[in-house]
Amino acid sequence: MKGVVVTGLGAICGAGKSPGAIVDAVLEGRSALAPIGTFDVTYWPRPVAAEIADYNAAALAGDRKLLKVIRRTDVVGLYAASEAVRASGLDAHRDGLSGEEGARFSERTGLYAGSGGGNYQNQYDYFPLIGETGGALPAFGHELGSGVNPMWLLKSLPNNVLCHVGIRFGLKGPNACITNHSVSGMLSIVEAAAGVANDEADRAVAVGHDTPIEPQNVLYYHGAGLLAKEILRPFDASRDGSLMGEGAGALVVETEASAKARSAPVLGSILGSGHATESEGLLAVRDDGSGPAQAIRAALDDAGVTAREIGMIVAHGNGTPASDRSEALAILETFGTHAPPVTGFKWAIGHLIAAAGAIETVLAFEALRRGVVPGIPVLDRVDPEFASLPVAREPREPRGNVALVLSRGFGGTDAALVVRGA
Amino acid sequence: MTAKRRVAITGIGLVTPAGNDVASTWATLRAGRSQGAPITIFDASGFSTRIAAEVKGFDARAVIDDRRLLKFANRAHAFALAAADQAIADAGVKPTHETRERWGLSVGTGMMGMAWPELSTLGLAAGDGEAVDPERLVASDTGRDPMVFCRSQTTAGLALLGRRFGIGGYSTSVHTACASGGQAIGTALKLIRRGTIDRALAGGFDSMINPVGLAGFCLLGAVSADNDAPSKASRPFDATRNGFVLGEGAGFVVLEDWDLAKARGARIYAELAGDGNSLSSYRITDSHPSGDGPIQAMRWALADADASPSDVDYVNAHGTSTPMNDASESAAMRAVFGDGIARVPVSSTKSTMGHLIAAAGAVEAVVCTLAIRDGVLPVNANYANPDPDCALNLVVGRERAQSVRVAMSNSFGFGGSNSSLAFRHPDYDGGRRRA
Repeated sequence: MKGVVVTGLGAICGAGKSPGAIVDAVLEGRSALAPIGTFDVTYWPRPVAAEIADYNAAALAGDRKLLKVIRRTDVVGLYAASEAVRASGLDAHRDGLSGEEGARFSERTGLYAGSGGGNYQNQYDYFPLIGETGGALPAFGHELGSGVNPMWLLKSLPNNVLCHVGIRFGLKGPNACITNHSVSGMLSIVEAAAGVANDEADRAVAVGHDTPIEPQNVLYYHGAGLLAKEILRPFDASRDGSLMGEGAGALVVETEASAKARSAPVLGSILGSGHATESEGLLAVRDDGSGPAQAIRAALDDAGVTAREIGMIVAHGNGTPASDRSEALAILETFGTHAPPVTGFKWAIGHLIAAAGAIETVLAFEALRRGVVPGIPVLDRVDPEFASLPVAREPREPRGNVALVLSRGFGGTDAALVVRGA
Repeated sequence: MTAKRRVAITGIGLVTPAGNDVASTWATLRAGRSQGAPITIFDASGFSTRIAAEVKGFDARAVIDDRRLLKFANRAHAFALAAADQAIADAGVKPTHETRERWGLSVGTGMMGMAWPELSTLGLAAGDGEAVDPERLVASDTGRDPMVFCRSQTTAGLALLGRRFGIGGYSTSVHTACASGGQAIGTALKLIRRGTIDRALAGGFDSMINPVGLAGFCLLGAVSADNDAPSKASRPFDATRNGFVLGEGAGFVVLEDWDLAKARGARIYAELAGDGNSLSSYRITDSHPSGDGPIQAMRWALADADASPSDVDYVNAHGTSTPMNDASESAAMRAVFGDGIARVPVSSTKSTMGHLIAAAGAVEAVVCTLAIRDGVLPVNANYANPDPDCALNLVVGRERAQSVRVAMSNSFGFGGSNSSLAFRHPDYDGGRRRA
């Protein structure tokens, strides 16, 4: 991915509404994980998540009318993408172009979203009618027109962020909506950067967004044994699971020429990616870490950097016993005794599922800018099985300005991204 | 710039309302025997639309020998496993211990959620207005059932296919509504070109013929309500068209780096030569009357394939049979082909098998492959009344013999994503820019 630079960042999650505010919270050791407030958790087995404080849909979406046709996950995606676009100055630049130049600019600008898909809440719009008809299909079908929001299907589309970010900023180039669980966000960046590197577009917006904190989803994650009681403690001997967060992360990537032509701020660059599929089933991961190890090796190779050039690793670190263990083994196997400082953000912002890889890459850029590897203050004792993994409670200095970011998702998908700070 | 890696289509598989394999589907499409019929999968008697094109006589257990895998599969997943099995067997190559990391998987997945029995049961047990009562949810059968969780994941199909074939490289699941299948195949093309993988299993699967899916389309008024004449209801480009007919199924292709396919002596059906992928950024459901959006997708696909409009001998249109799509798509084709539009044969096979939503682009990619292989174009069925807004060289009445140098497949989705794919006859070299 030669010459793909980053010119804008946007992020929102429980810890803040900008990359700077979120990293501030992380460095101050503040976790956004707290008792869930959006539904009654009095009788709830796992009542902790990182929700967006003072969530105001109309303010975040920037357009009250849109709320009829989009969901919470789309609102946060639209917000983060808009922040990244404005930070890059892309919209202001386009507005200054003449008709034909503007049309060309739009067609040469791509848009890639990592989306959590539908989940469950959007289907509850049918509950009142199901209740009225006792679930009898003929009556349900007959009363449909009077009982349900006619825009239901549109509101439920997983690709709504593509649609509305595209309309807002007039983006008309190559695009994708990736619904690949928690590697979605990272794949949105990979596909955006590859599109730019391969001359399909001159610039592209990548955004990962998800709001997985809904009762049914939280309950199923708990049922699958994936959730912690109250603290997400990555790589710790006492870790007992993950906890959910919500939000979005977005980046604007472009060719060096495109950034230079409009004197855009260059915040860093995307160097390469690597991928693996473990193919063990929906939830299972391989014990030996061969999946993430394959992704890491391929990413270093694609980026053309050696393991020694990696200055910090932002791990997936979701806090589940099996994922953290295999991820740690993969890092130790691929880096040997030369592993740079390893950190992660989920202890503070929760697991944003489809948004995780996107927001964590955004935060990696912000950390590189500040020249700091944030610590993991909830770390008590590193699991003795991988005691040499260089994680720490306190912030450290990165070994250089190149970061490796890791993501893993259901279906045994692994992705690794190599980025360089400015 | 180095020359693009060429990509060969070496295996194909289909499960569609027109047949449960490639041969039977192709025969039905060539004959234009439209499959619209009253819905039998569930009691649709109360719905404003009670017709669809269903997959018929499909017995998953008879074609997939892995009971454990099928336990996790919903209806669309079973179609996907069967069609992918066909494609892999047809290609005569599959991932091995040595090659698995160089195999990718790219699938267009439908909208996922709870199936009707679970949704209605949960609604009665724990519904609280348009929300769920957490306390009653915890106590409900649906809330305790891990299978509901597994089947509702967007990556469930990806996980089943990955496991079935032992794919070890880049895997991805994409969703851009009705463009999903085309974009999934386009994504796989890019992955091979940029060297991330050497081979891919790519396709799409969907089944929205269920109460929740049908309800969504009925609410939007997007489906034809010609309940008394179901086999005539899907009539793309006809002046009296009034909505699409919902279909279901799966289509898969095996894609290979050209040189690797040649080296192993593979039969190459066609070259997957170009991908055009644009965003309309107009309105969420409406397509621009001028064809803006689809125009760019088609032009970019041709440019990517080093082909010009005059090379195109067949367009498999998106052609949903909705008033708006067919007019806007016709406008787009007129813009792309100019005066040549009268020469280019067009058909929408949705006239025969209905609209397979997230699977449509993948299934129709296979149709283009077959048109190239056999030099035969399938029928645009049910066409009787010309619409001046859709003045096209439609393949009507019966199949048409036509050797095909370049074929195109269009898929345009709600939300404004447009996918066009360009396929070259394996022996046609015209127009290709030399590196």
